[in-house]
Amino acid sequence: MAAFLFHLGRYMILMWRVFSRPEKLSIYRKRLFDEMVSLGIDSLGIIMVISVFMGAVITIQTAANIDSAFIPTYTIGFTTRQSTILEFSPTIMALILAGKIGSNIASEIGLMRVTEQIDALEIMGVNSRAFLILPKVVAAVLINPFLVVISMFVSIGGGYLIAMFSDIVTIADYVYGIQLDFRFYHVVYALSKSAVFAFILTSVPAYQGYYASGSALEVGKASTRGVVQSSIIILVANYIITQLFLI
Amino acid sequence: MIEVHGLYKSFGDKEVLKDINARFETGKTSLIIGASGSGKSTLTRCLVGLIDPNEGHVLYDGRDFLLMGTKERKRIRKEIGFLFQHSALFDFMTVEENVRFPLDMLTNMSKKEKDNRVAFVLERVELSHAHKLHPSELSGGMKKRVGIARAISPKPRYLFCDEPNSGLDPQTSIVIDSLIQEITHENDITTLVITHDMNSVIEIGEQIFFIHKGELWWEGTQHEILKTDNKELLSFVDASGFLTNKKG
Ligand SMILES: Nc1ncnc2c1ncn2[C@@H]1O[C@H](COP(=O)(O)OP(=O)(O)OP(=O)(O)O)[C@@H](O)[C@H]1O
Ligand SMILES: [Mg+2]
Repeated sequence: MAAFLFHLGRYMILMWRVFSRPEKLSIYRKRLFDEMVSLGIDSLGIIMVISVFMGAVITIQTAANIDSAFIPTYTIGFTTRQSTILEFSPTIMALILAGKIGSNIASEIGLMRVTEQIDALEIMGVNSRAFLILPKVVAAVLINPFLVVISMFVSIGGGYLIAMFSDIVTIADYVYGIQLDFRFYHVVYALSKSAVFAFILTSVPAYQGYYASGSALEVGKASTRGVVQSSIIILVANYIITQLFLI
Repeated sequence: MIEVHGLYKSFGDKEVLKDINARFETGKTSLIIGASGSGKSTLTRCLVGLIDPNEGHVLYDGRDFLLMGTKERKRIRKEIGFLFQHSALFDFMTVEENVRFPLDMLTNMSKKEKDNRVAFVLERVELSHAHKLHPSELSGGMKKRVGIARAISPKPRYLFCDEPNSGLDPQTSIVIDSLIQEITHENDITTLVITHDMNSVIEIGEQIFFIHKGELWWEGTQHEILKTDNKELLSFVDASGFLTNKKG
């Protein structure tokens, strides 16, 4: 418990310093832009592949679970859309990115720590916390909702492929289902939570990397801790946000 | 000139620096020597504020660094160049970008002025041909030279070098040593060099400070060190094999 409070406190202080006023805006703008490009482009492929299979599987499983003649088959389309938007796209994508981006961030910053590059920044009077962490966090918070929107479309498209190539649901029923009782609020809820997840999956590994010490071995451990902790925190945050905003 | 008064530093129960008093003159290369673990790196880190000492004063030309707030400290840090033991080059930047970085962050120079300064500094360390390379593509000696170029590009008044020669062959060491000394004289700056290398001590040690178990044990010049009868210093010099090499 003491250790937990210690880390929580140090994390808060780190974030406070990360969001203090940056000294040279032009440099931050350039770094932010670079981060957004690399985050967006590097993650697009994996997100599309995972999403198409995700949508396909949700469609098949929903169909498999409906064995009553009283439930219309357009429910399959409806359920695919709802699960995708509310849960699968924002949460699964966040977990995937926590593994991919999170480990990257922790090891990059951790390596800079153990090779004294962070000290070099500090000596130059640069706020190393803001310089290294701020562009990554802001880029992820801005880009992640777009990635999630793409994931939603691709996932629902995955279900459409099932409708097209199998006979568990007709295309007409599926398309009718995915349009049924659409609430824009659900998209707002999903995108807000994906922005929160983006903050977690960048800042927690950044914290682990920033306070790594010693050898390259330590950097590897910090990276693992960053991924595990951010994944757990994402799931807890998911629960809290859903409890607060969806009921 | 950098003055240190009554500096103490402990890590937990372990007292690493005890009552250090020293004066590092402008326009001279001051050498800090001592066995591994004697506290040399800790001392320099205290001087530049990477570690906060428990007690003491550090004066940069009369300005008391440790009493300052963050803002004023930043102003002094902008006047400090630091060469790290393992160079600590930013590995996501090219050689040129590494050298330009402090100019971007610390100065309001125009692009043209920065271009000129970067070209001049790279020329100075004889690395103009390597400006597009990344740190991973450089040899150890080249990295040190880029580290020096980065440290001096914003024209610091104070230059710190933590073991500029470690891991280098004797010839390259001499090149690096003379480079540091020339830069010090050319620009009339205060330079502190940590070293294990007795060759450097004799070559460039205008002022020498011997740290023994966290205490400033002896200080003098490159001429005096060869005549010393200080027991601990003699055994340090002996252990380096320097005298036996010269005699043999
Ligand atoms: N952050 C730290 N926490 C605890 N102890 C430390 C820390 N930094 C240094 N020490 C201890 O302080 C002592 C002096 O270390 P320092 O790095 O200053 O030695 P040094 O003279 O630079 O040695 P070397 O020549 O090997 O670089 C060592 O015993 C070391 O274990
Ligand atoms: Mg050292």
